[in-house]
Amino acid sequence: MSAGKPNMGRKLSRKSSYVFENGQIPGYVHMIRQASRTSSMVSRTTDPEPRESYGSPRVSRLWKETRQPRTPATPEPPDVDERTPLLLGKTPKKPDTRSDEEAKAESVLADLRKELEMDSHKISLDELYTRLETNPENGLSNRQAELHQSKYGMNLLTPPKETPEWIKFARNLLGGFAILMWIGAFLCFAAFAVQNATKPDAPKDYLYLGIVLASVVLISGLFSYYQEAKSSRIMDSFKKLVPQHAQVIREGSQLSVCVTELAVGDVVELTYGDRIPADIRLIESFGLKVDNSALTGESEAVARSAECTHDNPLETKNLVFFSTSAIEGTGKGIVVNVGDKTLMGRIAGLASRLESSQTPIAREMDHFVHIISSVAIFFGVLFFIISVAMGYSWLDSAVFLIGIIVANVPEGLLATVTVCLALTAKRMASKNCLVKHLEAVETLGSVSVICSDKTGTLTQNKMSMSRMWYNGKMHAVERPDDPDNEGLSKIIVGDPEFMALATVARLCSRAHFKVGQVGIPDALREVVGDATESAILKRMETLLGNVEQYRFRNKKVCEIPFNSTNKYQASVHCNKSDCGSHFLLAMKGAPEKIIEQCSTILINGETKELDEQCKAEFKAAYEELGARGERVIGFCDYRLPPEEFPEGHLFNTENPEFMSFTFRFVGLISLIDPPRVNVPNAVRTCRSAGIKVVMVTGDHPLTAKAIARQVGIISPGNKTLDELAATQGVPVSDLDPSQVKVAVIHGSELIDMDEEELDAIIRNFDELVFARTSPQQKLQIVEGFQRQGTCVAVTGDGVNDSPALKKADIGISMGITGSDVSKEAADMILLDDNFASIVTGVEEGRLIFDNLKKCVFYTLTDNISELTPFFLFILARIPLPLGTISILCIDLGTDVVPAVSLAYEKGESDIMRRSPRNPLKDNLVTKQLISYAYGQIGMIESFAGMLTYFVIMSENGFLPLKLLGLRSQWDAQQINDLEDSFGQEWTYEQRKRLENTCSAAYFVSIVVCQWANLIISKTRRVSIFKKGMTNWVLNFALIFETALACVLIYTPGMDVALKMMPLRVHWWLPALPFAILIFVYDEIRRLIIRKFPGSWVEEEFYY
Amino acid sequence: MDEGHLKQKLAPTQKPKKEDGFKEFLYNPETGAVLGRTGMSWLLIFIFYIIFYIALAAFSLLNFYLFYLTISVDAPKWTMDSSLIGTNPGVGFRPRPDQEDSTDSTLIWFKQQDPNDFKFWSKQLEEFIEKIEEIQKDAGDDKTHSCTLGTENTTNRNKSCIVDLKQLGPCTKENDFGYGQGKPCFIIKLNKIYGWKPEAYGYKDTKSEFNQELFERDMKREQGKGMPEDLARHIKQEVDKLDRKRDALLLRRHLETVWISCLGENVADMENVGEILYYPMQGIPSYYFPYMNQKGYQPPFIMVQFTNPVHGVLINVECKAFAKNVISERIARVGQTHFELLID
Repeated sequence: MSAGKPNMGRKLSRKSSYVFENGQIPGYVHMIRQASRTSSMVSRTTDPEPRESYGSPRVSRLWKETRQPRTPATPEPPDVDERTPLLLGKTPKKPDTRSDEEAKAESVLADLRKELEMDSHKISLDELYTRLETNPENGLSNRQAELHQSKYGMNLLTPPKETPEWIKFARNLLGGFAILMWIGAFLCFAAFAVQNATKPDAPKDYLYLGIVLASVVLISGLFSYYQEAKSSRIMDSFKKLVPQHAQVIREGSQLSVCVTELAVGDVVELTYGDRIPADIRLIESFGLKVDNSALTGESEAVARSAECTHDNPLETKNLVFFSTSAIEGTGKGIVVNVGDKTLMGRIAGLASRLESSQTPIAREMDHFVHIISSVAIFFGVLFFIISVAMGYSWLDSAVFLIGIIVANVPEGLLATVTVCLALTAKRMASKNCLVKHLEAVETLGSVSVICSDKTGTLTQNKMSMSRMWYNGKMHAVERPDDPDNEGLSKIIVGDPEFMALATVARLCSRAHFKVGQVGIPDALREVVGDATESAILKRMETLLGNVEQYRFRNKKVCEIPFNSTNKYQASVHCNKSDCGSHFLLAMKGAPEKIIEQCSTILINGETKELDEQCKAEFKAAYEELGARGERVIGFCDYRLPPEEFPEGHLFNTENPEFMSFTFRFVGLISLIDPPRVNVPNAVRTCRSAGIKVVMVTGDHPLTAKAIARQVGIISPGNKTLDELAATQGVPVSDLDPSQVKVAVIHGSELIDMDEEELDAIIRNFDELVFARTSPQQKLQIVEGFQRQGTCVAVTGDGVNDSPALKKADIGISMGITGSDVSKEAADMILLDDNFASIVTGVEEGRLIFDNLKKCVFYTLTDNISELTPFFLFILARIPLPLGTISILCIDLGTDVVPAVSLAYEKGESDIMRRSPRNPLKDNLVTKQLISYAYGQIGMIESFAGMLTYFVIMSENGFLPLKLLGLRSQWDAQQINDLEDSFGQEWTYEQRKRLENTCSAAYFVSIVVCQWANLIISKTRRVSIFKKGMTNWVLNFALIFETALACVLIYTPGMDVALKMMPLRVHWWLPALPFAILIFVYDEIRRLIIRKFPGSWVEEEFYY
Repeated sequence: MDEGHLKQKLAPTQKPKKEDGFKEFLYNPETGAVLGRTGMSWLLIFIFYIIFYIALAAFSLLNFYLFYLTISVDAPKWTMDSSLIGTNPGVGFRPRPDQEDSTDSTLIWFKQQDPNDFKFWSKQLEEFIEKIEEIQKDAGDDKTHSCTLGTENTTNRNKSCIVDLKQLGPCTKENDFGYGQGKPCFIIKLNKIYGWKPEAYGYKDTKSEFNQELFERDMKREQGKGMPEDLARHIKQEVDKLDRKRDALLLRRHLETVWISCLGENVADMENVGEILYYPMQGIPSYYFPYMNQKGYQPPFIMVQFTNPVHGVLINVECKAFAKNVISERIARVGQTHFELLID
């Protein structure tokens, strides 16, 4: 037990073997598909286990009744080989069109989804030796080892196939709007080539434009590639878990072998402190204890021996698993599985092979890109056809197409969205939510179900004493004011009854504080020992102080260590008493074992006969604590009679004579891993935000249920079917399952369910707790929720959570306690391990979705004002009012900072009081948004731009009517004397200067309108006068946008570089009335939406 | 146990509807919606947008009307350097190739023998002249008057100078503008720029006296920039004819002429182009300036005739205008023009 084993003591388990399990089915028995699928739950009710105490067997039985009877009707023999895969629906039965490789990959995945099946632990050792061609004394021969290596593979985890970098890069260069942009760039180059071929000194405009377009695609492609490049390094952390060397017996001699060279059949020696190098069947064990936390998430050290104690490989004591660690003792075993075949290998393989689904925001962006691309292609093709039909040349038509594409595609938007997400990610990181993939920022906002692991996430992952029962009364150890502890007595230090219990608790314990921790508060001092004993030790230290000294004064002279058959632990201490006894026996263990050993009980300071009434009281107290899911330990003491045990008596540990006595019962102590302080609040917030919180834990159903109640996952007053039956005093079968909203589902029940049954449970219960679940089942549950169309968040910290974390829409791991593997599989890491941080995440996620919507609205609006000039250019044949370069100046210049600044907007209303968005209906880009942005605000901007255009044309001599139909002459280079409305004659160059000035003015008028648009984008519902202008980033953006526009048009040389011309000051003005119009119009729209909810206006124009 | 109720409760509810695709979007038989909207919905949104656009257009028109009040119908709001047209006029030529064929071709290509072919070109000149005739007819005598260099006050808003169409030599409609004889005429004209008038060589500004030294310098500079020797000589001769003191006003007026010269672009072109004649003179006299959008203003022009161009060879011709304030730029194509001639 040292710091060298990071997983040690990380998790606490209820499953301490000496502790009464409250009659529950042990651990992972049901993780593998047992016996026959047809042995219905009805037959299970005959199990000796008191299953009524948690709600679900009955429920799932009912499901069985409602569906088609299974065939065959007769129970199948409990043959391991007959097990069917867990997820029947997932077994690939796809058409043969797929390549063999794909089919193979899929079948591997399907196989990994099944629970581990093996019999190496069950067969006799001789059979095993024969099968693996090995020998316990001499081990494998070197030749055999090589043979086995080639037969079973090396002891390595194969990394998943990675997509080559260049493919990833290519995807980024072709995703989103890139294809359209490439088409645009290609058309530009083509146009230039054609021009260049016909005339030697053709203008290079199209060449430049093509280069600009191509660079835009390249740069944004690089940008998103860079974002993506921080890809999952999941296998690396598995590699880190692999131990370096193992002690192996080969050809009769022991040698140290690199772990990767370990072969199936090798005889391996295990010592405490080792990482287990492979899956090994033990043939010898000297007090070997292993920490399986890496696999199960429960870090209680479990003893391992050479006997096969269970059919289930996870339960049996003679198997130790790859990458878990040996904590105590030594052992020797035969390697039965290596590399990917090991249990850990399978989980790793599953986690890394699962494809995490597309994030909601990515889906929304795709949706959005689809819509915009469709619009662009529609308009592009339409106008191509129109212009060809109108008699324009192919080259002209292609040039129009370029313009339409450039105008339609919001070039800067995807990068803007990325920046917005990055800003939020940064903000979240400062609130202890570290986001690994930017898109996950929003995902949390879309989440409608959170599947939370219990230990370490909802709870503190730290056992602590909860209650003490002595003197016939229940005492609360902590927080006596807590409503949960109402009606309990307070502990009074000094009470003889308390002191008797405390004495035993202090003495009969192997836990001790680490040395050299002076001046550290008790709660923070590090303890060496198992979780239960440590918790008691710490509590005793705070209550009484100086436990170590007390122990020193009452020296231990004899000890009977705990073993799983006895289920108790006893020690004898030097402790002189008034009655002359020299020794005190202190004993603790499973309460029912302890009570069996007792004949008396300490009540009111007197030792009394343990009569039936006392026993009944004990039973009631014990059951009460058990029902709370707490770990209960019984304590008793006994003064050894001085006659038989004089001072200096030497005890025989092997055969302790004192065990023939009956002892005095002093009390019970119950322990629990308490919920974190702010979790109940966080759960409440989640629920008011419409998010369902579901507990999915590997822990015991009772504990799970108790914690679920305490944190509010099960609301007070809601009962499971079994509880309802108990209170009404009727059998469970008489109740209608639809009456209850709560269910606690045991992993063993999940095994018997098919997809539909699981779906039915998920749909029909509001409050769900899944207990005793395996990694595969966690995955299954997540998939069940996803089938309902919900967006699922999974929180967890163990390796066993990693497949579910990976599969979830957003996996959330714990920064402090989380295993590396789970961190790798997760999308988000809570740096403070605090579930409450999730609430922050949800809030930020929802806010960013709202703000992205505003951002998209803002950016899309000027698309239409960029498009109208082209329409008029083609249809009304006027000189081009807005050049392609100017469009790029808007999309990639002035629009960017304002759009990003919208990410800093605060929420409009309490976003944590509304339901999560419906991924099917509440899209980022809706019909309403397009209609309002394109049809209305965009059109107002277009009119503003066109007005400015006509004003400048008129002031320079071309009145609007003159312009109609002027295009072909205007653009003809040969015409050097085009007459305007006042008879002036313009050369081609002079006309182009005028045209560029108009283009710059149109650009400016869009900027002016975008001022108003930015302000109206701040709010979708409330008035801007209520919202205020306190977003200083946005205010800065207004100024910045204007300044940038000035730089673009007034900097000398811009007429050549960007075809921008300086403008007279008053040419900024024509757009102003339109900007005011936009502001007023939107204020009115919002007023109507607020005053008449559900009205036609809201239906059509609320985006 | 209520079996029926249970079944209802636990029967697998409808899975979230997958997008039934495009078909349903086009026509949804359930709601009768076409393209995602019902008839009523389409009607409402249609009416809304009609009203919206009418209102928006009205708003814009109101704005434009208010703006329109600020500009004059007679003169552009901005002129010369305030306007984007600037003060450097371009040079135009007629006839021009068919725009529909190619927007940037300047090739004049005709068959001397085929009247139907050269008619395309000569017709343009004919139309140009007819247009001037029309202006003359419309304007009437009170708006126009014949001008000479000596005429006082030649330029004002009410009267403009007549372009004499009788002094065009052989470049007449009857003569097919020389196209049938292989001696084609071209119209060369200076772009009208409101308020622009040429500045004379040898004068520092409009107020100052003639300065021989400055004149020589100006001429030298122009020659350096491509004024042909014979034009320079021609101008000097014209100047020498006049007495510096007595004819001071006349001299200034005369020197305010915008001189025009056409030449082959390269040495070969110069040879091929042959003799060039100008009608009525090798420049546009000053009395046509400035252009002030006068009623009945007739755009002044000259006829340039190539009397013996080489047939079957492409000839590059460059015509330049010369005045002190005309700066010839080939790229920007101001102060000069260019065309190609090919006679079959």
